[in-house]
Amino acid sequence: MAVSAASVAGVFAERLGPERLVVDPGALSAAAIDGHTPRWLVRPASIDHVAAVLAVAWDENLAVVPRGAGTALGLGPPPSRVDVLLDLTALDHVLEDNPDDLTVSVEAGITAGGLAERLAGRRQWLPVDPPGWRRRTLGGMTATNAAGPLRARYGTLRDLVLGVRFVQADGVVTWGGARVVKSVTGYDIPKLMVGALGTLGVVCELTLRLHPMPDAEQTWLATFTSVEAAQAFVARVVDSSLQPTRLELLNEAALRVCHAPSAPFGVAVAIGSAHPAVREQGERLAALGSSEGVRIAAVGDNVWTHYDTALAPAEGEVVLRIGSLPSRLADTVKVIERALPAAERAALITGCAALGTLRVAITGADPDTVRRLVEDLRALTGEFGGAVVIESAPTAVRTGLDPWGPVEPATLNLMRAIKQEFDSRGVLNPGRFVGGL
Amino acid sequence: MDAVLEIDLPNRCAVVQPGLINLWLTTAVSDRGYFFAPDPSSQMVSSIGGNVSTNAGGPHCLKYGVTTNHVLGLEMVTGAGELVRIGGKAAERPGYDLTGTVVGSEGTFGLVTAITVRLLHTPEAVKTALATFASMTEASEAVSEIIASGIVPAALEMLDAAIISAINASIGKIYPDAADAVLLIELDGPRAEVEAQAERVATICRRHGAVSVTVAADEMERALLWKGRKEAAGAVGRLTSSYLLQDAVVPRSKLPQIMREMKAIAARHRVVIANVFHAGDGNLHPLICYDDRSAEELERAKQANEELLGACIALGGSVTGEHGVGLDKAKNLPLQYGEADLNFMFRLRRVFDPAGLMNPDKLLPSHPACGEGFRPKRPVLPAGAWI
Ligand SMILES: Cc1cc2nc3c(=O)[nH]c(=O)nc-3n(C[C@H](O)[C@H](O)[C@H](O)COP(=O)(O)OP(=O)(O)OC[C@H]3O[C@@H](n4cnc5c(N)ncnc54)[C@H](O)[C@@H]3O)c2cc1C
Repeated sequence: MAVSAASVAGVFAERLGPERLVVDPGALSAAAIDGHTPRWLVRPASIDHVAAVLAVAWDENLAVVPRGAGTALGLGPPPSRVDVLLDLTALDHVLEDNPDDLTVSVEAGITAGGLAERLAGRRQWLPVDPPGWRRRTLGGMTATNAAGPLRARYGTLRDLVLGVRFVQADGVVTWGGARVVKSVTGYDIPKLMVGALGTLGVVCELTLRLHPMPDAEQTWLATFTSVEAAQAFVARVVDSSLQPTRLELLNEAALRVCHAPSAPFGVAVAIGSAHPAVREQGERLAALGSSEGVRIAAVGDNVWTHYDTALAPAEGEVVLRIGSLPSRLADTVKVIERALPAAERAALITGCAALGTLRVAITGADPDTVRRLVEDLRALTGEFGGAVVIESAPTAVRTGLDPWGPVEPATLNLMRAIKQEFDSRGVLNPGRFVGGL
Repeated sequence: MDAVLEIDLPNRCAVVQPGLINLWLTTAVSDRGYFFAPDPSSQMVSSIGGNVSTNAGGPHCLKYGVTTNHVLGLEMVTGAGELVRIGGKAAERPGYDLTGTVVGSEGTFGLVTAITVRLLHTPEAVKTALATFASMTEASEAVSEIIASGIVPAALEMLDAAIISAINASIGKIYPDAADAVLLIELDGPRAEVEAQAERVATICRRHGAVSVTVAADEMERALLWKGRKEAAGAVGRLTSSYLLQDAVVPRSKLPQIMREMKAIAARHRVVIANVFHAGDGNLHPLICYDDRSAEELERAKQANEELLGACIALGGSVTGEHGVGLDKAKNLPLQYGEADLNFMFRLRRVFDPAGLMNPDKLLPSHPACGEGFRPKRPVLPAGAWI
């Protein structure tokens, strides 16, 4: 039985405190997601608050959209409904810090920058760096499995989240995983939650594995006139004894925004290690370059600072995440270049060349061009089981085109069955995940 | 089903059938400079399907990660009889990470029929050192400091006096007899990095009272140091007719403390506990020795085992680090998980295997939370004005 909006607000205010509930129409419409204005905006300050909100939502069939810093709300199709916007940024505490174990437990609303500040001075880090990472919350990064150049060495949050505490759609507080770096006790629930876009539960606490920071890191840029040459060089690096921390492909436009030397294509190779080892690997890289006839020069670390700023999520741009293969990088880049008319060649193409993932950011592209680009890329990546996901785009682009792309029917059925089991009422982020989940 | 279906070195991966023996995959690619990283001590006999199902670790997972970090995709037949392909060579696939969810599920979700794994480039240099200590506590402190100092050794294994003498007696004198504990430390990577780290590791060991630190001079010496470690479990046959092998984990900084507690537990229950374990990630493998002709002694061993598990969990640890839950440890899950957590796992399992056909008694305990109709606690909402 539905209760009145006033009594929902009453329970939220009673449970969370009136100051944690926003009902002002102006504030609510400013928080609209893809044109859906939430009816309530709540700012829980504890996991129990989140549980109370979800219990109400479950009983009343309300749609809940969790929000961290709001940098990735353009991932996936527009939500089918938005009743409660759950602002998690007040959940920003470090709960347990174990420097000697290289682990830390935090609330999910803490920003990656906030955590980095906490860790500064002890030479440990959470090496996850999607562009604009400082502003992003760890909960949001977990929900989207966002990653940046450092994935070449450290993987993604999938490899770094050890434990999760989350609230299920019906308000049940649940824990999965462990607080230690190695555990196989029970199912690996953290893996299920990373990248699930909050559709199986609202992640409120994370236990993370940290890594020691290398003593030194130095970056070199190899430049190329063709993407084929860049791909071949990457293959040589990967097949050598070098162990880069980042191995990033950049096209001309991306090199420009990173204030790097100009060339049609560049591969930025960062080596992080003990000082003598960085020096020695740098010499080897240079030797590899000269034996292959590749120009290589050291560049300042600010290349990554510029990268981070210039590629940070921006209003109105279209960003694609492409799962290609190291052996198909050049083919993939060629499809992008062919699909984009000259006027839109300012597209920034970057990606972890070692793993074959690419990111394309286009500003001011017209929806038809984007559609064609995505279709062409899906045709290519479909040949080898890759994928093209629209990471962000204006609402109009994401309504005409499935932002996630196809998933094999049997696999999708399994995903649907999991969603049905844990959120049969479609409370959590309805409509935003694959297959309309 | 033991075939290598595909080796794709340009994309550094391979597709194999589940029955392929772990070591065979590395053997198939080592001449081209690659290896499959998960290396359980059973790697000569265990299958990659079994490694996937138990999310196996091994000495080198300290640096390289456990099986799940090296599995890119799976083909499986679920308990419901559906053939599904999940994950694959390319990263960035949309939808839930079913691959990560299935790895470690101990066959309770279905049968894995093909596996896409990542291959790594063989490191340029390897250095293996042996540090001997006069006490387990000192050795444990050295481990803690090595980790805290920012060095990630490829492997960091500890052996105690009981194991050392068993190995020396059955395999030949490999480790110094007088030592109370030895650390087997392996560093790998680019040569200059290995050299720099080796010096720091030696300094740390000496600072914590290492009696000696020796580095294997060549591949033969290195193989010998590892031979002792790899055959340790077998050598224990010299000590005892039977043993309970545990696999609990503690935060690495708690190693000195758990070693002290273990001593007390062993004394209290009058059992010998031998230790050979993955110290770098806090993964203990106490071998609790007992005489299988004595029911009373078995009982004491079991009690010591349960107490030790409790102590590990109390320090923030985990019931099992790599061997899996299976039948025996299912009853211990409630130490680590609450009712809501267990219920979530039960429901997840039911999605894959609605009829409960797959390894029915493994992994989850018989517990009300793992049964139909159980309702975990939800927040209580005010009555009255509300409904
Ligand atoms: C001497 C010794 C040393 C060991 N050292 C280590 C170690 O260092 N690290 C470590 O992690 N483990 C270790 N183990 C434990 C064990 O060897 C590993 O966990 C290994 O991964 C098991 O592989 P297996 O092929 O023997 O699997 P099995 O024992 O046959 O099966 C293991 C589980 O997986 C299920 N299973 C097997 N194949 C499939 C499949 N295709 N699909 C679905 N389910 C399947 C089985 O039902 C069972 O529940 C050791 C064991 C021994 C005996």
